[in-house]
Amino acid sequence: MDDIPIAELVAAAAAGDEAAWDEIVSRYSPLLAGVIGGYRLSPAVRQDIAQIVWLRLVEKLDTLRDPQCLPGWLVTTARHEALRQIEQQSRVQSRDPLDAYWVDQGDVVVTLPTTEPPDARLLRQERHEALLSALAELPAHQRQLLQLLIADPPLSYATIASRLGISIGNIGPTRARALDRLRQSSALQALLEGPFEPAKGWGK
Amino acid sequence: MMGTDDVPNTPNPHAGLGWQDDDTLLAALAAALRPGVDLIDEVSAQGRGVYAWRTVDDDLLLAQLSFDSREHGMAGTRSAEMAPARADVDDEAPRVMVFETTPMTVELEVQADRVVGQIVPPGPGQVSVETATVTMQVEADENGFFVLPPLPSEAIRLRCDTETSRIRTGWFRL
Repeated sequence: MDDIPIAELVAAAAAGDEAAWDEIVSRYSPLLAGVIGGYRLSPAVRQDIAQIVWLRLVEKLDTLRDPQCLPGWLVTTARHEALRQIEQQSRVQSRDPLDAYWVDQGDVVVTLPTTEPPDARLLRQERHEALLSALAELPAHQRQLLQLLIADPPLSYATIASRLGISIGNIGPTRARALDRLRQSSALQALLEGPFEPAKGWGK
Repeated sequence: MMGTDDVPNTPNPHAGLGWQDDDTLLAALAAALRPGVDLIDEVSAQGRGVYAWRTVDDDLLLAQLSFDSREHGMAGTRSAEMAPARADVDDEAPRVMVFETTPMTVELEVQADRVVGQIVPPGPGQVSVETATVTMQVEADENGFFVLPPLPSEAIRLRCDTETSRIRTGWFRL
């Protein structure tokens, strides 16, 4: 299960293999969490959005023509739900469509105040999504190691080694291999080397 | 290589990030993970929990959302800058949603204290509302008319069984 191509996992999950589904979920949870976490939403709304995205994906397994499109589909679907939520709650809260920011009250949504120019924000978002998609392409042990290495507050090598059941001496070489694999992932290759198409996919 | 000449020579804005360096790349990954890092476990638990909802019934036709007054309402809100009075009216109007498939259409009107629905072509049947945790069922009368209590904000879908067809909608949130 560790290193199975996503297309095979999708086919297996569509055929009833729940372990394959769980592996898809493990690979793509950081990406989905990253998109949802980019909007300041109440915990209940975040859960609702994560749930509906996964529910729709379960329904889509049979008809997902190109599983390579899975990360893009997850990002678009989650973003659409988050923006719809923000728009809906802003209408309830404020009748003024020009209001840039809304007050945070309980279940209400707030846009993240930022001084960053919109272009820079979109590029940063695009990079983040490419990195998280790339992470999904890694085998589980490499993915877990990278996640533990950047835990905040930082974990000691001894803790990381014991969590992963590997020796401390293995951490360095595995880290290097994981980062190499990240660079070679189709997600990062597409970001860094693909023909640059300005604002591609940012229509919504 | 066809068409390569047509691509304008726009510099890739992601070039030169220094990701050849391990520490730089790891720091970039950390920055990408940060906004969602506290959500990963929860998102993953949600994902594992929904597999049971996979539809294995091939005869159950999927009705697509073909109209949603709120999507129209959103577009209308922008013109509200010039006509705020009308925006108020729009906000009060019940939301109307239409789910369509070849043999059957289901229309929903979301009112303040209930949801009313209509099966087209009109006829009796059972209507179920499913969330990821509960299912409730009501009867549609001989005119295909049914009434549901207020629905939760989490993901739901409808299932309609009539004498002639069985359909379900995709997952949606009100």
